Amino acid sequence: MLVDFDIVERAQAGDAQAFNQIVHAYRRRIFGTVSRLIGRPEDVEDVAQEVFIRLYYSLDQLRSPEVFEPWLYRLTVNAALDYLRKRRKRKLEARVADLSEQQVMMADAAAGSKAQVDEKEKSRIRELVDSLLSGVSEEDRLLLTLKEVEGLSLKELEKIYRVNENALKVRLFRARQRVLRAYAARRAGEGPERTGR
Amino acid sequence: MNGDNRQLEQELDRLFAAYRDACEAPEAGADFLPRMWGRIEAAQSWTERFWKWANRLAVAAAAASVLMVVLQLAGQPRADFYSATYLETLMAQTEAETAPIELAGVPAEAPLESPQR
Repeated sequence: MLVDFDIVERAQAGDAQAFNQIVHAYRRRIFGTVSRLIGRPEDVEDVAQEVFIRLYYSLDQLRSPEVFEPWLYRLTVNAALDYLRKRRKRKLEARVADLSEQQVMMADAAAGSKAQVDEKEKSRIRELVDSLLSGVSEEDRLLLTLKEVEGLSLKELEKIYRVNENALKVRLFRARQRVLRAYAARRAGEGPERTGR
Repeated sequence: MNGDNRQLEQELDRLFAAYRDACEAPEAGADFLPRMWGRIEAAQSWTERFWKWANRLAVAAAAASVLMVVLQLAGQPRADFYSATYLETLMAQTEAETAPIELAGVPAEAPLESPQR
């Protein structure tokens, strides 16, 4: 927990100062998670804001401060899913290689310095993983990202999704197998290639 | 085959880890908190307006219901009509039917006589 339980309780009682403390404590983490879940840096702030607004309005439904973090993750996943659905509706869904303007500009600017080479490499990894994850449903992509990228445990995922561990394991296994097959196909098509680090 | 698979699994794990590092979280803007509170307050004022309207509507609906009940009670027939039993009602009807017909200006008790010439 990044904040004490009593701060959560105070925020639940309507203390705006305590709520601000929660936002300060979790802002960075939520930004990171949202960024990896939606894959569009320019929309991260809006979605993160939506998460905290939902948190503000749902804090009174939180049964105990002990389950605050899974609760917050749940809100994050739901806000990300809603964003992705809206984006799909607007037919603006980012494709695998559909880099944001910011990323394109960054790639264009890359020219030779170590930092720029690093950035190019990061961009390549982002593109590759986004491409692999695009082969599974949005729900499974989010689940897989939370497990494999965010590093959440099955117990934590169980609390977030409120389903039993076995169901999660099956879903994760299938999603991962699909991603693995896509990765194997890509490897076979491209020949030996650097992967990640 | 199994060894290849294990290698692929490991590569995928490394790729996910690299992806985590590659996706740096953007920094929040300086106006993140003010904007967030602005959105919360905007939503709250909308909710308050909605509740005000909902309350007014509820009060108006209650007043209309009371008025309709009053109107219905006022328009009801007298209670004694309903207090009579079936037999009493039947008797009253029979009496009305068998009562002598009263002609205008002629008392009902007066026997009808044939005119004398």
